Amino acid sequence: MDGVNNMFGLGGNQTKEEKKQIIIQTIQQQQNIENARVLIDKINTNCFEKCVPKPGSSFTSGESTCMTHCMQKYMTAWNTVSSAYIQRIKSDPSSN
Amino acid sequence: MDASALGLGEFNEKDRKEIQSFIEKEQQKAKFQENVHSLTAMCWTKCLAQNKISGPGLDKNESSCLNNCVNRYIDAQKTVISQLERMGA
Repeated sequence: MDGVNNMFGLGGNQTKEEKKQIIIQTIQQQQNIENARVLIDKINTNCFEKCVPKPGSSFTSGESTCMTHCMQKYMTAWNTVSSAYIQRIKSDPSSN
Repeated sequence: MDASALGLGEFNEKDRKEIQSFIEKEQQKAKFQENVHSLTAMCWTKCLAQNKISGPGLDKNESSCLNNCVNRYIDAQKTVISQLERMGA
């Protein structure tokens, strides 16, 4: 399985324990990157819609401030939704 | 992804099981995050998109709307599922 070894940066000099850690870390890293990618994509879509309804010939400072606030607001909303969802799953496991 | 696809043949049973269960946990986490992404986008449209963005935080109405949005979505989803089950029975 050369392909998989390359994908995880496994050369052959590592011990089995090191290889296991590399596999685990790589999977975790990939997932974090994917999660951040989706979040950034959603922020761009929703905040552009909100802050730049009529794109003009330049990006105004108002639009820029709006984007900054919107982004922070979106992340707060993400956290709020996440805790509401966790709470619901805990009190009502069938909703998962 | 399952452990056999990773070519984990060189690992012993215990290590393979550990990696496998780690992958399963990560898949659950990924599914959860995916759900939060879609809920956030949906509830953003319902609760926040019409409001003026006056600052970075959420006001009380906004956060309570988000809370209701998540819970009512799950209620609605459960209604559909139980209706489908009745139809199938």
